[in-house]
Amino acid sequence: MKKFLGALLALSLAGGLSGCYKMRSSAGGGQTEFNRPRIVNSNDIAVPDGYRIESIARELTFPTGIAFDGRGRAYVVEAGYSYGEVWTTPRLLRIEKDGTTSIVAEGGKNGPWTGVTFYKGNFYVAEGGELDGGRILKITPEGDISPLVDGLPSKGDHHTNGPAVGLDGMLYFGVGVATNSGVVGEDNFQFGWARRYPDFHDIPCRDVKLKGLNYETKDFLDPASKEKVGTGAFSPFGRKTGPGEVIKGAVPCNGAVMRVSLEGGPPELVAWGFRNPFGLAFSPEGKLFATDNSYDERGSRPVFGAGDLLWEVKEGQWYGWPDFHGETALDEHDHYKPARKEKPGLVFSEPPGRPPKPAAVFAVHSSSDGLDFSRNSGFGFKGEAFVAQFGDEAPTTGKVLAPVGFKVVRVNVKTGSVEEFAVNKGKTNGPASKLKKGGLERPIAARFNADGTALYIVDFGVLLHDEEGAHPSTATGVVWRITKKEPGR
Amino acid sequence: MKGAQMRRVLMLSIAASLVVSGWGCGCGSARRGAPVAGPFDDSQPHIARGKKVFEENCSQCHPGGEAGLGPAINNKPLPGFLIKFQVRKGIGAMPSFPNEHISDSELDDLVSYLKALRRH
Repeated sequence: MKKFLGALLALSLAGGLSGCYKMRSSAGGGQTEFNRPRIVNSNDIAVPDGYRIESIARELTFPTGIAFDGRGRAYVVEAGYSYGEVWTTPRLLRIEKDGTTSIVAEGGKNGPWTGVTFYKGNFYVAEGGELDGGRILKITPEGDISPLVDGLPSKGDHHTNGPAVGLDGMLYFGVGVATNSGVVGEDNFQFGWARRYPDFHDIPCRDVKLKGLNYETKDFLDPASKEKVGTGAFSPFGRKTGPGEVIKGAVPCNGAVMRVSLEGGPPELVAWGFRNPFGLAFSPEGKLFATDNSYDERGSRPVFGAGDLLWEVKEGQWYGWPDFHGETALDEHDHYKPARKEKPGLVFSEPPGRPPKPAAVFAVHSSSDGLDFSRNSGFGFKGEAFVAQFGDEAPTTGKVLAPVGFKVVRVNVKTGSVEEFAVNKGKTNGPASKLKKGGLERPIAARFNADGTALYIVDFGVLLHDEEGAHPSTATGVVWRITKKEPGR
Repeated sequence: MKGAQMRRVLMLSIAASLVVSGWGCGCGSARRGAPVAGPFDDSQPHIARGKKVFEENCSQCHPGGEAGLGPAINNKPLPGFLIKFQVRKGIGAMPSFPNEHISDSELDDLVSYLKALRRH
């Protein structure tokens, strides 16, 4: 009996200490209800003492990036596509002083436009390429659009991202991977693209040798079939791989940072092994950094507990996807094992290298996206990176016990320390729609103006999630501006 | 063991569970970030070291000690030995962190940091 009671006590303690993770249902930020109109109230947002935040544009549809022209005027891109398979028109808009917008350019049905930069008189936009493949677009101030590069392999879960121009005058951009962890499965059919492009899959940048792990699922291409199908890594749905099989690498590829001349031409590989290098920015010292949305607990090869990463991007380096998270292999210890499932096996028989230590680790499912560096000591935190956290997409990407992200954080890239900078007020964290307040919803980009006196936050707007997937709301996006208060005010 | 004794131990175990899980202790908000709670004082070296251990190993599931993938851990009156037990054994969905991952001295610093964060 003593043993029984001891075990009971231990179990009770264990249950308490673990917060009964398995027993509790997911409580993500997007798991709520939303009724129009979106309330916008900067008083619901907390920023450090000495700073103020205000909204400068509202009712945008899926805004994702911001840039400033030579006269310091702000421009924002609207994506034209959102998870949930909602298509609108991608647009480059100028934000006028009164908060209204003027259309500079419109794209076709090949969003999402995921980011924009301005360099020497022209805009450069990353076109996600959900239907026709990714492109990098040059847009003149008059609205003329011409592609610098096209045919990028981004018809899957993740898209063509960036862009950022380096000191070398080259334009750097990212291409995310098609899948969660290398294997096309049910989750990709839920996203929508796997039915549209059943042959689409991840392309490695260099030749890779596989162990030949295959993952059995229902045949989602033939729902009436009772036969299961096997799918290997870097392969179309339903194609098995064998031990020692070599998958040929190619450029352009998935999970990579590439660059292209501003005159256009073939893309060059910079580094690979990322999952979704969404935000790219150069530090004041000229070093390139990229945020990387890490693994989800979904699909045929789910991965538990992998936080988003910030990398310093070094030429020729491999950064670990799909077998590592940071420096750690996915089969080490029990760190990445989903509840009641096997821990992920490694798909490579010979990894292409060892990933370096990340510059910082963010919260799991925070969707740490657009970033920029403070260059002005007047604003403060000079040399630190400011990162917009879009927030979790639970339950689609995996269960969470509370909303994750929905804020702006600052990162000391020398120490890896991550601190909140702008976050909704209240007893708990979450998007404004869940808190029933008027603050931040889903920050997706953070960008300083040219003189570094103001930090602009692009807020995508309302994106709810449930077991069916994503449910975005048009015309709920906002641009916020954070400035230093004048002394004595 | 007699019936009354058994009941007492049973009640104790349930109460302990409730206390450490935060269900029954009215622990309040876990928000400790600078914009909400002001800057955190990490001037003491062992607190600063513990903060680094936390950021490298814990914050991705308990961002700033708040709930996220895992439960909040900065608003519960957990004694140090239970924190260490949890870190080493990894009960529930939480993975274990053996000595080669977090050394004993790092674990001491981590506990100091978590206690300081709780008071912040």
